[in-house]
Amino acid sequence: MIAVQNLTKVYGKRAALDHVSFEVPEREIFGFVGPNGAGKTTTLRILAALLEPTEGKAYIDGADVTKDREKVHTRIGYMPDFFGVYDQLTLTEYLDFYAACYRQPKSRRQKIVEDLLALVGMTERKNQLVDTLSRGLKQRACLARALVHDPAVLLLDEPASGLDPRARVEMREILKELQGMGKTIIISSHILPELTELCTMIGIIDHGRMRATGTVREVIARLTSGRRLRINVLDEKDAAIEVLTPLAAIRHVEAVNGSIEAEYDGDERTASDILVALTGAGIRVSSFTPVDGGLEDAFLKATSEEVG
Amino acid sequence: MNPVARALWNPIVAKEYRTRMRTWRSPFAITLYVVLLGGLGWAVFAAMTGNTLGLGGSGTNYGMYLFMFLIVFQVALLGFITPALTAGAISSERERQTLDLLFVTPLAPFSILWGKLLASMSFVVLLLILSIPLFSLVFLLGGIELDQVVYAFAVTGSTALTLGFVGIAFSSLFRRTLPATVAAYGAAFVLLLGAYVYGFLFPTDADPTSTVVPAPPAITLVSPVIPLVTIATNQPVSGYGVRVDYSRYTKGIPAAGGYCTPTVNGAMCTSGPVYSFGTNQNTGTTLPSGLFKGWQYWQASIVMQLMICAVALAFSALVLPPVRRFHLRRRRPVTAPAPA
Repeated sequence: MIAVQNLTKVYGKRAALDHVSFEVPEREIFGFVGPNGAGKTTTLRILAALLEPTEGKAYIDGADVTKDREKVHTRIGYMPDFFGVYDQLTLTEYLDFYAACYRQPKSRRQKIVEDLLALVGMTERKNQLVDTLSRGLKQRACLARALVHDPAVLLLDEPASGLDPRARVEMREILKELQGMGKTIIISSHILPELTELCTMIGIIDHGRMRATGTVREVIARLTSGRRLRINVLDEKDAAIEVLTPLAAIRHVEAVNGSIEAEYDGDERTASDILVALTGAGIRVSSFTPVDGGLEDAFLKATSEEVG
Repeated sequence: MNPVARALWNPIVAKEYRTRMRTWRSPFAITLYVVLLGGLGWAVFAAMTGNTLGLGGSGTNYGMYLFMFLIVFQVALLGFITPALTAGAISSERERQTLDLLFVTPLAPFSILWGKLLASMSFVVLLLILSIPLFSLVFLLGGIELDQVVYAFAVTGSTALTLGFVGIAFSSLFRRTLPATVAAYGAAFVLLLGAYVYGFLFPTDADPTSTVVPAPPAITLVSPVIPLVTIATNQPVSGYGVRVDYSRYTKGIPAAGGYCTPTVNGAMCTSGPVYSFGTNQNTGTTLPSGLFKGWQYWQASIVMQLMICAVALAFSALVLPPVRRFHLRRRRPVTAPAPA
């Protein structure tokens, strides 16, 4: 559905994007992660046909973003990292205006606006002026705006940025609903836990270069050295470490804040074998938890690598 | 809706009407406009009936004078209002960060420009319509025909359109509204007054072998001042934009201490004979020479202004799109340098 091939954007002597490539199949949610200035917004603006790449190609549903802009614009819903609202327009008028811009027939526009307001949970605010809405509500209104023409692809640039935790959860729920509706979504964010839960695929970008791309599991496996377990035992912490250290699958064991953290190579079966080894040695294990901080580790590892 | 109708009437127009008329600024501007124009009309009429400011004399000229002052003042007012309406049209969308959102819709950049322009110029048309009752008072005094009013409104409308197109061009060029507004007012000043003053600074030299008074330089017709005065008085403005080198006229040399003034019919000297350029100037408001020879002043003015409109529109259409089809500088392929 989305294909990016060797995308390069150079401003003067600075490369904002350096031969970035990735693909997003239909109905996938692609999390685009990277620190500020990594090139996320530049990539999304090129995909939205708002910026011309210096080199490389990008396609949305087969349409070249530099050559077939009109087709691209009918396929995408673009939500930038700012609100973009007008004074003196109510929420209904705001959405109706964009629906008209997207050439939706007048007879259908009222229904479209009502459905979108229901989707983003703002029906009761339909007559409120958009510029008087709170930040979280403006963000939802902007998401509704990006959906007025029922696009197959959504390009969302930092949709949760600056939102309070509640608004963030609400936004995540809406995105899940859109995922259920079959949309292909690219979502840029620096809030990693959100992406872990929401995204089916991920791309890590830093200094304009794609560090890793693939499914969340693949990226974590590729970038992190091993899987991690957090083990709590009743009294025999030192004994437990002595049992764990010689095991072949164990790469590293350390005591962290009263727990034991063990990094190992292998899968769930290996983890089960580790537990059997502990209990077999008479260690009383009170909890045995796989640590799911993999994406964060992967991100830190990918973005801390020496550039060159 | 067919493509032409869709290009001419697009959602931006309706949105602009809605947002513009919901603020207090629009009714205030309309009221101020009518009050100022009416106030000037009253002042001119009072000056004429009170025989002050040299506007007294024959009552048959009251209508003509009133019309002339009103129409020139109306252009001056529009010179202040139109740049304010259009200079922020595009740049304010940039500042509000809504321009990108319009660019990702199927609306063509030209449609965005046109929608903005149509909405702004509709407000100008509203002001012109509101001034009609004031101008109708002129007919009570006589001396002005309906066709003169139509021509004068055509020149006024064309001037406002030019200022609108130029304002939109600067609004497309500059990212911020403030520099766009300053540039638009500068351009309005040059177009309205600069072109007029040009006629004084660089007049056309009269040809002593010719039998007609030459026309002012064509560039002066960009300014509506002379065409409007010409329409009102039904004759060219004597001596404007023409330089007569009296030493080259055998019969036009003034006597010692005297001076000559170029007129429609020749150089009128305070003493000595009058040199006649001939009698083929009877129509009065026809340009006798130059690029627009045989045209009416107002026709030439409108054509000049429409040419500026075309240039401004082409410029706007060139600089507005986020991804330009034509690049001002030649691009060369760049290999991404290694990031720092």
